[in-house]
Amino acid sequence: MHVPDGVLPIWLLVILYFLSGLMLVVSVKMINKKYDNRLVPYMGVLAAVIFAAQLVNFPVPPSSGHLVGSTLLAVMLGPWGGMLIIGMVLFVQALYGDGGLLTYGLNFFNMGVFSCLLGWALSLLLFKGLKRFTDEKKSVLFSTAIASYVTTVLAAFVLGLELLTVSGFGFAALTVITLVHAFIGIGEAVLTFMILLYFVKAKPQVISFLRESEVSEMARIPGVPMPTAQIEG
Amino acid sequence: MDRRDVIRFGTPLVLAVSIVAAVIILGVASQNPDGFEWSLFDFAGFTEPEGGFGGIWSFLGEGVVADATTGIIGIIAIFFLGYGLFWVISRRSK
Repeated sequence: MHVPDGVLPIWLLVILYFLSGLMLVVSVKMINKKYDNRLVPYMGVLAAVIFAAQLVNFPVPPSSGHLVGSTLLAVMLGPWGGMLIIGMVLFVQALYGDGGLLTYGLNFFNMGVFSCLLGWALSLLLFKGLKRFTDEKKSVLFSTAIASYVTTVLAAFVLGLELLTVSGFGFAALTVITLVHAFIGIGEAVLTFMILLYFVKAKPQVISFLRESEVSEMARIPGVPMPTAQIEG
Repeated sequence: MDRRDVIRFGTPLVLAVSIVAAVIILGVASQNPDGFEWSLFDFAGFTEPEGGFGGIWSFLGEGVVADATTGIIGIIAIFFLGYGLFWVISRRSK
């Protein structure tokens, strides 16, 4: 999903650079206000794990895919922390030549802003529903995996919509890019489940949805009520 | 951070470096174009643009050793970048 330079029109890139920059500033302010430095090492580890996971493509013939990790990060740290990590990962990848420098704003918007906020909201909704039937840890694992699937497909759809600004890229191609990601999303869901399972077992305190979370405050979006688990906790 | 935390934090990092190095060196990763590239350049028939900037490691050329080395450097670099950035911007604990 890393778009290189030279494909999309400059006006769209400028708009999305501006929007992404704004959201980056908001996320820095939110972290500065709410985030406690005791968990800083986890930020480094998570950024490294996401960067590593994005290096490896799994086959989805005739194409391939890799983990994005936005929903995973949003569930663990809240959307603000997730956005900032995705922003860092995409920045280093752009320096590596994976995704353009001019398209950095667009890539960050699709995989950071849109995916973190949507992934977080969907996961929270599913988590609240599933928690009525099973325990918190299973609920967070399954809700995050399902939300990561939906988010991957919808992020590809958004990218398809952005590509409609390129002459020659029509609705057939929009359908194709969405359908390809319907299969890539399965890989995203499986990897998300596996990585989250590690953290559920090793350190549940860094998963914002869980009762024992130390980062639950980070998961708050202004104007949106606190997740039920955290209110009860 | 106590010793147990170092192990907990360190294990995923060591695992990530090991898995990526093994996957790249053994050529296990898919060589197909990714979802975006396939949809646009193959299906929609676009010519992939030749960018002027090939990445900071482009002088090393292509190859398994270069990919594995730069991949591992990236993983370690982003670990320190993430650690440093969040250390600077986060709220100080009491």
